[in-house]
Amino acid sequence: MVQYVTLRIDGSIVKAAKGSSVLDAAIQYGICIPHLCHMPLLEDIGACRLCIVEQVGNGKSKITTSCTLRVQEGMVIQAHSEKVRRLRRNIAELLVAQAPNSRAIQDMAVRCGVKEVRYPFRNADCVLCGRCVRYCRGLAGAQSLGFVGRGKDRHVAHALELRDLCKHCGFCTANCPMSITPCAGPMAKGEEHLCGGCEAQLQITQGMEDQCVWCELGKGFDCSRHLGQ
Amino acid sequence: MPRLQELNALETERRRIVDSRQAYTTTVLICSGTGCQASRSPAVIEAFKNQLQSQRLNEKVLVRTTGCHGFCEQGPIMVLEPEGVLYCRVAPEDCREIVSRTIKKGEVLERLLYTDPASGQRIPKEKDIPFYRDQDRSLLSGNRAVDPRSLEDYIAAGGYTALTRVLAGMAPQAVVEEVTASGLRGRGGGGFPTGRKWQECREAPGEEKYVVCNADEGDPGAYMDRCVLEGNPHRVLEGMIIGAFAVGAVRGYIYVRKEYPLAVQHAKLAVQQAREYGFLGENILGSSFSFDVEVARGGGAFVCGESTALMASLEGRVGEPRPKDIHTVQEGLWNKPTLLNNVETWANIPGIITNGAAWFSAKGTAGSKGTKILALTGQVKNTGLVEVPMGTPLRKVIFDIGGGANNGKPIKAVQTGGPSGGCLPVGQFDLPVDFDALAEAGSMVGSGGMVVMDAGTCMVDVAKYFLNFLQDESCGKCVPCRIGVDRLLEIVTDFTEGKGRLEQLDLLEDLAETITETSLCGLGKTAPNPVLSTLRYFREEYLAHILEKRCPAGVCKALIQYAVDQEKCTGCGDCQRACPHGAIKGRKEEPRLIDSAKCQKCGLCFSECTFNAITVA
Repeated sequence: MVQYVTLRIDGSIVKAAKGSSVLDAAIQYGICIPHLCHMPLLEDIGACRLCIVEQVGNGKSKITTSCTLRVQEGMVIQAHSEKVRRLRRNIAELLVAQAPNSRAIQDMAVRCGVKEVRYPFRNADCVLCGRCVRYCRGLAGAQSLGFVGRGKDRHVAHALELRDLCKHCGFCTANCPMSITPCAGPMAKGEEHLCGGCEAQLQITQGMEDQCVWCELGKGFDCSRHLGQ
Repeated sequence: MPRLQELNALETERRRIVDSRQAYTTTVLICSGTGCQASRSPAVIEAFKNQLQSQRLNEKVLVRTTGCHGFCEQGPIMVLEPEGVLYCRVAPEDCREIVSRTIKKGEVLERLLYTDPASGQRIPKEKDIPFYRDQDRSLLSGNRAVDPRSLEDYIAAGGYTALTRVLAGMAPQAVVEEVTASGLRGRGGGGFPTGRKWQECREAPGEEKYVVCNADEGDPGAYMDRCVLEGNPHRVLEGMIIGAFAVGAVRGYIYVRKEYPLAVQHAKLAVQQAREYGFLGENILGSSFSFDVEVARGGGAFVCGESTALMASLEGRVGEPRPKDIHTVQEGLWNKPTLLNNVETWANIPGIITNGAAWFSAKGTAGSKGTKILALTGQVKNTGLVEVPMGTPLRKVIFDIGGGANNGKPIKAVQTGGPSGGCLPVGQFDLPVDFDALAEAGSMVGSGGMVVMDAGTCMVDVAKYFLNFLQDESCGKCVPCRIGVDRLLEIVTDFTEGKGRLEQLDLLEDLAETITETSLCGLGKTAPNPVLSTLRYFREEYLAHILEKRCPAGVCKALIQYAVDQEKCTGCGDCQRACPHGAIKGRKEEPRLIDSAKCQKCGLCFSECTFNAITVA
């Protein structure tokens, strides 16, 4: 029998199955915690750090990713405290400066309140969210893709260059946040900018940031709520 | 040697070894640690043994090739006991005279003695040398007492008595309580209370538990763990066996980085010897406790010093950290409760058991007990390993033990705790070596690395060096560490190249906080420390780089110009010959000129000039 625990997320009392993650519990209750590397049915690795929350207790607070944090009885979670929003915005800013040519990342930046980018744009092709790698190893059971290299050199590649492990299921591409360009088309080198075109979508949500209103933006970055459909 | 079948057999064995060595009148310790090996100690050992043979003294003199003594600056080191005479920088050619004069006639060879740079005096006895005098070498002294390849030496020096005491009648919980009472805190960098970790692991549910020794030391300039594991591997092993008994583990691993081949070799040998003697394996010393250890070699990633990455690597996966919402004492190696401690932490355990928790906690400060080994490097006279009680002021370590600046320039700062630590200015040198005090000042004790910097060091350049290191060694899994540290490096590089803007300073601080708060593992969380601490104490240097496009220390190449002082230049032409870029012009016997368009700022002319005629501005 499934056991349930009760916790508080942004003040709301939330009941969640023991062993589930705080992020899943929040999404189920319509509390929007932005996330990129998390996908339902795949192992969470806590790589993008967008889904950070503040865990409050014993007079202390700790920042951690909600996708890897298991629910516990009596837990108190702040998913939208001022600190969390500031840190989340900074991470989204790093991501959009790294890969401005992705609609998903641009949407995410808007959703997290990025108003300016303080770094030179880089126009990378991959943000190493690892969705493709985990899908390939998990649901596809193919073990074809993997991470190669360390630090700045880390990239996704066929393990040991063995291309014949690939089952051609195509889900790596389908799950890739980089595969859709911003609405106005790809930005040329030197012309990258913060798109911000979708800010209008935020009108309704702005006043209630922690409410999931099933925003259109969610489609852009494959919000679990949309994927669950 | 047959397996020791009961607890009392150890004492019998110890007496047998000691008795068999009665005939030796002199013991000669020759350091064969990595530092001394690099300065030809293997040749010295061979020459010395040959001399003993030819001068017919090999039955009177016991030669012990030991691990590192810590005084690496003066290696190869030779100590003659029982007199305690120390010879430094010994060459193979010196051995004939050492045997014929010192050992036979008791004469001291003046030229091989250590000269105190402060007084210019030659000091014959090891214990009178300032470098040793102000230390408390309760851990490092073990390196002098044993040949790391000899279990007999370790037993003769009282080794494995802590283990017999534990097995003879201490309950596992009593062992944990002893460690807790000692106040020992993790020596690997975090400073987590060791006893609490042991208690949590002991209480964690599960039949199968593991203990791990973290010997993946990777901080630039730090080599405490290397020295202990290379020089006294059985002590580490004994600590691990006691730990395994306390938490109820069945198996242990020593994870050594592959860049320490000697440590790997000595650890493997020690495990093999311990198995033969019955300190490892089924029914240790005839008791009902069974435990075994394996040595695993790391693949060269700095991040594998992080506990979860280390465990992933041990399991045969890529060495990447995982989130630590569930601690490794609950779910560690193969998701079983795992007790991981650093080499130095393990090595402290036998002493605590033998001498009692009160002996250990008598040294140190309120929050940090015992002694700590520090790796003193950089611009000091005596570089090497220094063991001091916790609470010793930095000033004492750097100026009294380290002997102060080594090239006339005043000391400016010390970088403590490796890439995760910070830089502290001279003004903060009264701070004690204490986990909490250093953390409060924006640095950390860390694993004990201490890099001393003088006025010729640019602090912005130092920050850049560490960021470069971390950016390279980050596993690349999480965004703040992979992209964030890279952006920090980008900004600091802008500063050093004269492209910095004032608003980037705020960005630097904002980004640093984001990285600290949101990174996945300890590497990322502490990565901004070198930047934050230099910014805190040397902000004016940053401002000079940004506002005046000037590097006060004359280090950042883009911001300096080499010129010839026309008054001082004698026209010798040394600089012109040294310049590989043909940037120095001038006729014979006339002052030279530097063509700034051709100058690559390599600094060769500066180091070549004997008249101080080359200026940097």
